[in-house]
Amino acid sequence: MNEGLMSKEIRKQDACVDEMTLLLYAERQLDREAAQGVSLHTQTCERCMTLLRALDRESRLLTRSLLEQDEALPARLAEFQERVKRSMQWIWGVVFGLAVLGLYALYTGYIEPWERQFEQAGFGGSDLLSLVMFQGAFWKGWQTMFTLFEALAVMVMIGFGLFAFRRYLRRGSAMAVLFASLGLLLIASTPASASEFRKGDTITIKKDEVIKSDLFVTGKHVRIEGEVDGDVYAFAEQLEVSGHVTGDLIGFVQSERVSGVVDGNIRTFTNNLTITGTVERSVLVWNQTFDLEPSGKIGHSLTAGGQTLTVDGKVGRDFLGFSESTTISGLIGGNFKGRGKSLSIVSGAEIDGKTVFEGEQPPSVSPEAKLASPPDFTKAQHHAKERDAGYYIWRIIWTGAFILFGLVLAGVMPKFASEAVESAGHLGASFGLGVLVFFGVFIASIIACITIVGMLIGISSLMLWFVMLFASELVVGGIVGQWIMGRDDEFWPFFLRVIVGVVAVRVVTSVPFIGFWAGLAVAIWGMGAIALTIYRRLQPSLAPNIPSVPMAPMNTPLPPHTTIGGI
Amino acid sequence: MSAPGKTEPIELIARARTGDTQAWGDLYREYAPAIFRFCRRAMPTKEDAEDATMEIFMKLRDKLGQFDESRSFTAWLYKIAANHCWDMLRRKKARHDKDTDDIEDVVLECPEPNQLEKLIEERSGEEVRRALDKLGLRARMALVMRYYSDMSYDEIADALGVRRQFVGVVLLRARHELRQTLGESSALAAGGAR
Repeated sequence: MNEGLMSKEIRKQDACVDEMTLLLYAERQLDREAAQGVSLHTQTCERCMTLLRALDRESRLLTRSLLEQDEALPARLAEFQERVKRSMQWIWGVVFGLAVLGLYALYTGYIEPWERQFEQAGFGGSDLLSLVMFQGAFWKGWQTMFTLFEALAVMVMIGFGLFAFRRYLRRGSAMAVLFASLGLLLIASTPASASEFRKGDTITIKKDEVIKSDLFVTGKHVRIEGEVDGDVYAFAEQLEVSGHVTGDLIGFVQSERVSGVVDGNIRTFTNNLTITGTVERSVLVWNQTFDLEPSGKIGHSLTAGGQTLTVDGKVGRDFLGFSESTTISGLIGGNFKGRGKSLSIVSGAEIDGKTVFEGEQPPSVSPEAKLASPPDFTKAQHHAKERDAGYYIWRIIWTGAFILFGLVLAGVMPKFASEAVESAGHLGASFGLGVLVFFGVFIASIIACITIVGMLIGISSLMLWFVMLFASELVVGGIVGQWIMGRDDEFWPFFLRVIVGVVAVRVVTSVPFIGFWAGLAVAIWGMGAIALTIYRRLQPSLAPNIPSVPMAPMNTPLPPHTTIGGI
Repeated sequence: MSAPGKTEPIELIARARTGDTQAWGDLYREYAPAIFRFCRRAMPTKEDAEDATMEIFMKLRDKLGQFDESRSFTAWLYKIAANHCWDMLRRKKARHDKDTDDIEDVVLECPEPNQLEKLIEERSGEEVRRALDKLGLRARMALVMRYYSDMSYDEIADALGVRRQFVGVVLLRARHELRQTLGESSALAAGGAR
């Protein structure tokens, strides 16, 4: 309907006005010219005036009928706010209480005893940080913690499941009860220890002694002359293994010497390690000085990092070395790959595979050494610290690609994108939840992959985690863009703000030194905002079956009057 | 577009925006009855209206930070409510009621003014509400938006997803449908009396 055209019609014909025009006139929707035409006409036309009055009365009847308070607010709605508040407080109380309880159980059951053992072994304070970096060596030890982790993983996964479907549970209390049960399960799941613990100044496993379990040993001087039918975890100043270990030897020791037989692997973090005996599988060592004596044998591979590496014995497979100085006079059954300042391959050495070395000077190779192929030497390049133009060009290209990725995401789910950006505005909640999701979901996913919960759930969670990680920068970019340019909820202006924000974030994260920390903060912040959005979308609805009870009318604001114009 | 005799609860809104649960509760208590009534008029069942009311307030809690204090809170809240109700109706796949299609081809017969006046005079609010329940979803939604929450033609067009020029047509058609329903019920009542 074109109101301008209608007004011309009215003037030209001076005929009766149609009902549509009268309604628009009554509702003040006609332009001034058309309204004047209708007004003039109705002054002289009884029929149109009557119809106009009837329309006006009809409008009033409609408004009056709609506004009449014929029904009290149902009890379900009257209680809704309080119920949500109460139930949420309870659930969160239980969840956080259990989380604290779980952490306490984890600390007192596992971390504290390990920490004590480290301290007794001389690794206190800042040394622990180094140990954490070397935690790969712990891996097998973690198997003893599976009972706890399984319980944790199951709890996390069930928690996520309940969280996702709680809309259908109808009762928040069901969720809290389940969490409480799982919490009790966690507390009850103190692992049964099948390990032998020895502690003291000097510990000796005598020659005729056999330990039929894993051995955790702590002391200044530790000697294993007998047999350990399991893994050995040693925390000591001096460790000497002259006996037989059927499992792995994992050590945090100042000075370690292996003259006996280790059927498994050696994974150790020491000041110096000397092997004169036999290691059936592999050796992974990080230390200052490593010696594989002529009588020493490693069945599989050797991975060593340190200041000085000397290999006079036999390595069955590959040797990977990172050191200032490496000397080889023994047998390497596979390839040698090294990196460091210098490499000496002396008389009597034999390398059956390739010899690859990257260092400051070419390797010194004795003519009497037997090499399967000439050494492949690469002069170590000291990368210029300053970034060249190529770096920045690639950075721009990747930023463009990233923005396109964001465009696709925002196009697929515009409402969610807008809500996520809005959630990022709640800094405290986003960061708090972000820390939980950034670390918690990642760890839970890994645990899910390696425990009974299953690969499918673990990998799916990890994928979701990575998507959230990538999207986090877009979300933060969105809020930063809004801070810079002001808010606009239309799609393209909204996305323009995302682009501006992402560029700003990228600039900050490119700054040397602080860039990494800024990037970490952005990831945590953005992931938290996404998690907060998901949380809000999964807000519970209450049971629809609560019967309505009559209530006294409340102090209700009346909707505004309907505008009736014209008369 | 503010409620008559009612000042905008600026301070309450400001406190609720900062996360003050007490303020939020007060805001809810003050506006829930009106919003429930809006939903009750717009939605087909009471349960739908209750669900819609709760969801509207959850949405409000999330969106409160976006509220522009220079505008009317009541009008803004009704806009959220209207959009939400219409979204709910669409999700229920109830979108294709009889007055949504071929809207441009609608031909409406002009009523006899005196008969229309008579019809209006004879009808009570309850009868009108009962008749409204029988209307198509879009027609009912349009009438509720216009005559309950006093939304502008632009806002109605935006909520219903029609061009602004057709809002008048939608409203007029809804009125015709309502008159027809009221007339039918009147005829039935008259028949029953005989």
